[in-house]
Amino acid sequence: MKKILPLNPRRATTAALCALLVGLVSTGTAEAVPSYARQTGIACQGCHTVFPELTPFGRSFKLNAYTIDNLPQVQGISSSKEYELLLNQVPPFSFMFQTSFTKTATAVPDGAIPDANGQNGQVLFPQQASLFYAGRIAPNFGAFVQMTYDSQGGAIGLDNTEFRYAKQVPSVSDGLTYGFTLNNNPTVQDVWNSTPAWQTPFDQRTSAAPVPGAVTMIDGGLADLGTAGATGYVWWRNSIYGELGFYRSSPQGFSHANGNAGPLDSTNAAGTIVGYAPYWRVAYEHQWDRNSLSVGAYGVTVKVSPEAQPVGSPTNKYVDTALDGQYQFIGDENIFSLQTTYIKEKQTLDATFAATGSENPSNDLKTFRLGGSYYLRRTYGGALGYFSTNGSSDALLYAPAALTGFANNSPNSNGWIGELDYVPWQNVKLLAQYVSYTKFNGASKDYDGSGRNANYNNTLYLLGWFAF
Amino acid sequence: MKPNLTLALVLATISCTAPSLRAQETDPAKIASQVCASCHGPRGDSISPAFPKLAGQRAEYIENELRAFRDRTRGDPMAQAYMWGMTSQLGDEEIKRLAVFYSQQKPPRGKPASPKLAQTGKSIYEGGIPSAKVQACASCHGKNGEGNATFPRLAGQHAEYLVKQLVLFKDALRQGSNAPIMHDISTGISFEQMEAVAAYIASK
Repeated sequence: MKKILPLNPRRATTAALCALLVGLVSTGTAEAVPSYARQTGIACQGCHTVFPELTPFGRSFKLNAYTIDNLPQVQGISSSKEYELLLNQVPPFSFMFQTSFTKTATAVPDGAIPDANGQNGQVLFPQQASLFYAGRIAPNFGAFVQMTYDSQGGAIGLDNTEFRYAKQVPSVSDGLTYGFTLNNNPTVQDVWNSTPAWQTPFDQRTSAAPVPGAVTMIDGGLADLGTAGATGYVWWRNSIYGELGFYRSSPQGFSHANGNAGPLDSTNAAGTIVGYAPYWRVAYEHQWDRNSLSVGAYGVTVKVSPEAQPVGSPTNKYVDTALDGQYQFIGDENIFSLQTTYIKEKQTLDATFAATGSENPSNDLKTFRLGGSYYLRRTYGGALGYFSTNGSSDALLYAPAALTGFANNSPNSNGWIGELDYVPWQNVKLLAQYVSYTKFNGASKDYDGSGRNANYNNTLYLLGWFAF
Repeated sequence: MKPNLTLALVLATISCTAPSLRAQETDPAKIASQVCASCHGPRGDSISPAFPKLAGQRAEYIENELRAFRDRTRGDPMAQAYMWGMTSQLGDEEIKRLAVFYSQQKPPRGKPASPKLAQTGKSIYEGGIPSAKVQACASCHGKNGEGNATFPRLAGQHAEYLVKQLVLFKDALRQGSNAPIMHDISTGISFEQMEAVAAYIASK
């Protein structure tokens, strides 16, 4: 599921409450789909260390537009022997079901009755269920389409989706691949698991516990907006990657007062991207023996007109610049991988400041993540990670509020995550995850101004994840 | 639109039942670079020892193994995970052309081994292990590991891959083709001896 986190700083507090209820924080990256296994005939371990993390072969499969195909085809061939149609006779559909149990160290207060608590120990069945079509749809052209039923929303919607064209230029020494993507969330098209959309470890998170309220655009804010974009990329010598693209707003469920699906205007609750938000990504990967190491950088610049403001001016501008890195050792028995990213966001809040929604005309927000995982025989595994967000204090943007507020007016949160995984078959994963908060929404003690401590939100999360 | 739709339907129907129209896919260089290279490297010189180097390999051997994958007579774990799917739609002609293509690529350079290991490995490779009734590898695989007909080239191959194949032969997990011969031979070799002979021939 796409990340849906508070985007508009002015709405950070109420949006954070929505975040708790709506189902947030990467509730289901699902790049790994049996659709690809059906199309290629290759077992999951070919493309994945353990799903959803990609092996070098998996990265290559994605960069080549998901077109490696070993199914019988329906073909159309022109008189000059060019393919005009190449459709799998058996469509590569697949399905995903997630069921979970979530418990916080201290129960969350009741939403309506003072001094009462909600039930602690939430079962979601499903947390999410998704249908995929993933694979080649035309010569050199592939798709990843995910339709998700989310239990919190109680509805089916379009999730991470990407269409991709790729071609190899064999005449270039050691190969050059170029391609184009259409997708609905920056970094959904990325092939390394160190960028937000497909981050591992801890790709699966609960949607039934409080989460820190402040998040950068590229780390979930844009997913909340609803976007669509086009990018172009090159991949040279299996090691050098460059990509550039642009995104516009494309929210789901918006209805203009005139009864049409557009145009977007001041009634768009999510806020509207002004102009074309550029996205860029560079990476370098080196492989040796059973190792691969990649380092990269990525970023996006977005101008947003918030709700209730005319689209175009004034705007809030967000400039995200990030670094990332990934290391993998893929042995026959032992697999070890490490992912890290550091995101720095500069916020120029002309619109929010003018509407006295922020104390400062500009703020910054920084996020850091580092996580490592180990698997024995792709069956027994575990992961450990550290996360941290910190940024400018702002009394209006980050205000006290029960459960989701910021008593210190600071967005700072940090903590540790640990996880144990059991993968009895390549397409079934059972995990137990524990998130421990040292700081939550700006403080360790009484972070919300109503007496809730950061460690009250420590979360035990049990997940059953089935892909078939 | 309508006339073309009829034509397209006819063409599509023909295409399902007439594989000879798939002229584009039989270009081995194209298949190799677009598909095989993802694991076996450009022109067959793979990086990870999980995937064997194919560059300069005997055409007859590659042809046999591709058929064995397609027909599922070779079923060691990596073969099942990767190669059963990858070969399922390959025709006999494509297999032949791929085999010839890789045999014509420049053989990989050897990776130096420690002198002690190479010494032990050389004596096994050239003389066998008489006490364990293990014949010399050179008798089938050639004096310099260059291979012979269906007996594969070993020179310059990933040492780790060679050891793994010897273990698979010993455990009878790799079947088909010359596997019965290799099973008998590898039964008499200890793991340390496997490492030594693999390190030696990988350095050639």
